[in-house]
Amino acid sequence: MRLRPTLRFLGRLLQILAVALLLPGVVCLIYGEGRDFVAFLATALVTGASGFALVRMGRFRGELYRREGITIVVGGWILASVFGALPYFLSGTVDGPVDALFESASGFTTTGASIFEEIESKGKGILMWRSFTQWLGGMGIIVLFVALLPELGPGARFLYKMEVPGPTAETLHPRVHDTAAVLWKTYLGLTVAEIVLLMLAGLGPYDALTHTFSTMSTGGFSPRNTSVAAFDSPLVDIIIIVFMIAAGANFSLYFGLLRQRGKNLLHDPEFRLYIGMILGATIIITLSLIGNDIYTSIPMAFLDSLFQVVSIMTTTGFATADYEQWPNIARELLVGLMFIGGCAGSTAGGLKIMRMVIGLKSAFREVRLTFSPSTVIPIFVGGKAVPNSVVRSVSGFFILYFTSWALGTFLLTVGGVDLETSASAAIATLGNIGPGLNLVGPTANFAFWSDPHKILMILLMWLGRLEVYAIAALMTAAFWRR
Amino acid sequence: MEKKRYVVMGAGEVGFHLARTLSQEGHDVVVVELSPEKKERVEELDVAAVIGSGAHVPVLQQARVDKADLFMAVSSNDEANLTAAVLAKRLGARRSVVRVGISEDVTTHRRIYEEVFGADLLLSTQLLATNKILNNILGHNTLAVEYLAQGKVQLRKIHVEEGSMLTKEALRGIAMPAGSLVVAYFRGEELFIPDGSYQAEAGDEVLVLSRSEDIKRVESLLSTRPRTLGTVVIGGGGATGRTVAKHLLGQVDRIRIIERERHRAEEIAEMFPSVEVLHGDATDVALLRAERVAEAQTFIALSGNDERNLLASLIAQELGVRQVVTLVERTETSHLWRRMGLMRIVSPRQIACERINEYIATDYCSNIVSLQRGAAQIVERRLRRASPAAGVTLAEMSPPRGLMVGAVVRGEKVFVPRGGDRLEIGDTVILFVAAEHLSIVNLLFPGREGT
Repeated sequence: MRLRPTLRFLGRLLQILAVALLLPGVVCLIYGEGRDFVAFLATALVTGASGFALVRMGRFRGELYRREGITIVVGGWILASVFGALPYFLSGTVDGPVDALFESASGFTTTGASIFEEIESKGKGILMWRSFTQWLGGMGIIVLFVALLPELGPGARFLYKMEVPGPTAETLHPRVHDTAAVLWKTYLGLTVAEIVLLMLAGLGPYDALTHTFSTMSTGGFSPRNTSVAAFDSPLVDIIIIVFMIAAGANFSLYFGLLRQRGKNLLHDPEFRLYIGMILGATIIITLSLIGNDIYTSIPMAFLDSLFQVVSIMTTTGFATADYEQWPNIARELLVGLMFIGGCAGSTAGGLKIMRMVIGLKSAFREVRLTFSPSTVIPIFVGGKAVPNSVVRSVSGFFILYFTSWALGTFLLTVGGVDLETSASAAIATLGNIGPGLNLVGPTANFAFWSDPHKILMILLMWLGRLEVYAIAALMTAAFWRR
Repeated sequence: MEKKRYVVMGAGEVGFHLARTLSQEGHDVVVVELSPEKKERVEELDVAAVIGSGAHVPVLQQARVDKADLFMAVSSNDEANLTAAVLAKRLGARRSVVRVGISEDVTTHRRIYEEVFGADLLLSTQLLATNKILNNILGHNTLAVEYLAQGKVQLRKIHVEEGSMLTKEALRGIAMPAGSLVVAYFRGEELFIPDGSYQAEAGDEVLVLSRSEDIKRVESLLSTRPRTLGTVVIGGGGATGRTVAKHLLGQVDRIRIIERERHRAEEIAEMFPSVEVLHGDATDVALLRAERVAEAQTFIALSGNDERNLLASLIAQELGVRQVVTLVERTETSHLWRRMGLMRIVSPRQIACERINEYIATDYCSNIVSLQRGAAQIVERRLRRASPAAGVTLAEMSPPRGLMVGAVVRGEKVFVPRGGDRLEIGDTVILFVAAEHLSIVNLLFPGREGT
């Protein structure tokens, strides 16, 4: 690993972050929050100055290689989380540095787990920053970086592949710089559309903006204590459902939609399965709610089920109902959806539907090979064969993912927290979902955990967002060997 | 018989046989061959041998291609064959035959090759072998195939056997697939144009024009064999194996391919999702037993190696496969294999030889397109603005009986036109024309000469 190009690009990343910090600063000015404004200004200055220093120290000539790429991606996420935590701390909104880092990491990784016990008393600028970090992290700070910085050259491809979720990082343009730009433009377009629709539905600009940031990134932070339930409007619910679904689908599909008119989204096998799973889970939960007399109105039961299912499956974590009060079958089903997550190439977390499909097909192939070992069985998804290298990477991912989850659950139970809470907290952070079950349910928060536990969960969030491999690579000795 | 001069490029299996037959018939033959070791063997045939690559002008000049009636580029190197053909034509050879490897070159893109390289007859040994194998295992009686309109339309010459549908009923009573038409038939040496009352006799040869997608249905309709084909196992997934598999899809219950090389096996499995691919050796008895290959109806040995093909065939036969087809490149020993019970030996080179000999014997009629020494022709024409036929229905045009509009290609669509169908500018029409009506064709469909 060469240090100087790495430092240079990490410096550039901080410079971009410094500019982003001005938006919540402006919000502070509008709402007259003087102390918070100073916190943002100070952070922006510190971040910008650090950025300039790093750029000065570093130098870039020639090409970026994989090792630098991996270090830049992981280092970028850590630095963004650390510098992004400063406003929470400097403004005095949270008590300890660990809490500030937790909130910041939860934002950038679009997890949406919070240590705030009470939200609405916090400053508007701080809450705007919370949602804005999610929006930046949703499509990916590195993808944004690649889109903004053409000087990266061919090495940008490694950066892009390390961050774009999904087993097959599709390139829509021959140049990865253009691909990243197209993804961000699509993301921006959908964001503007949702803001406009939410305002038409009666939300103020502040609520529309913050909720859109958290919807499109499938993050789930809300500046309201009761999340989206605060608006008590089926229309708002429906708008947010539609955009959560859109954010949980593969963004390259939209690109295809624009390029080849008439090509239906439902042609895509992953999208079909995604919609099918949402509908199936919603129907089962609706029936369980009606059957257990928790709801009397079928449309309301359906709408609330749909919202919760979409929110969990896309790993957003908004709530319009407290599913902790729901029957066990519904809660269990939601946990299952937490593991699966959205589609490959979306802003959602989780294992991803594409990986589930490839993983299951590869497992069935092994079954068949036990009695017919000479048969050559390719794995087809949507009529196209999946390369064996991808199948291998998916199997490895499953093992690392479940090991991380099991280890995380074990460590979280140390100290006496019950298993349901620990296991769901581990998957809620690893899958970048947000709320879990029991003590970390949709109306609860993460404030009660000890600092070491919070640090563990921050690690899980980073692992989940970068899909394990990049961080795992940094932990191997071979990576650092000269 | 008039003494002619032929130049054969490549003294491989095809070239060697051609040189021998032509020399025996008393013609002057020059063989152009790359490897000096073969010189002596070639000269034993009483032909001249020039050592060197046919893709170089001095070599061709030395072989005196300028005096050649026919230049035959039949070496195993496609690129060299094509280059040599262009050069030979330019140096003054009258006609050229070019052998190419890939069947799509002949089926779909023949036109380009003919135009660019000036090839008068384009051959793919692999395609010829595939057709022969399909005849063999499906019980089809196709004698020759011609590909028209970029492979979207085919003309097939089919031998009528006793018991075929055509012998049982008059043509008007037979439900031919919608995209097909019987355009002519031969009885003895003579060519006839059928009407609805035509009822075939065994021994007739019918010419069927059909959309390529309907050809399987036409073939099985005219086949005399019942359609219970069970499982077909193909040993070897090379180019021929893949082409055969592609044509068998949907015609048999199940196709299995055994391929020795891992990456090739994977390629095939990805290409044909419905085909079961086994990675292994078709001569590995343990594998064949474990995978119950014996239960197959048909085994086709198509690896690129004669010895392996023969061994695999013998094993398959021993295991109890009912029908075994073997591809053999070297023909000298085929009688030995027949003696061992392998009755269905297919030799691509021999077929290619036969094809070229036929071409020479028919006075260079490139196959069925010019029929019976010019008694009739298949003409492919694109409708231009100036064409009087544009915008007219077939009924209005009322062509004479010796002129048939066999198929119309409109964009991606191909159909057999009926009386009420209107022809449009830009259509490609495929016409069957008796010689005496050729002038009408040029009047109705003016344009560049087509095939």
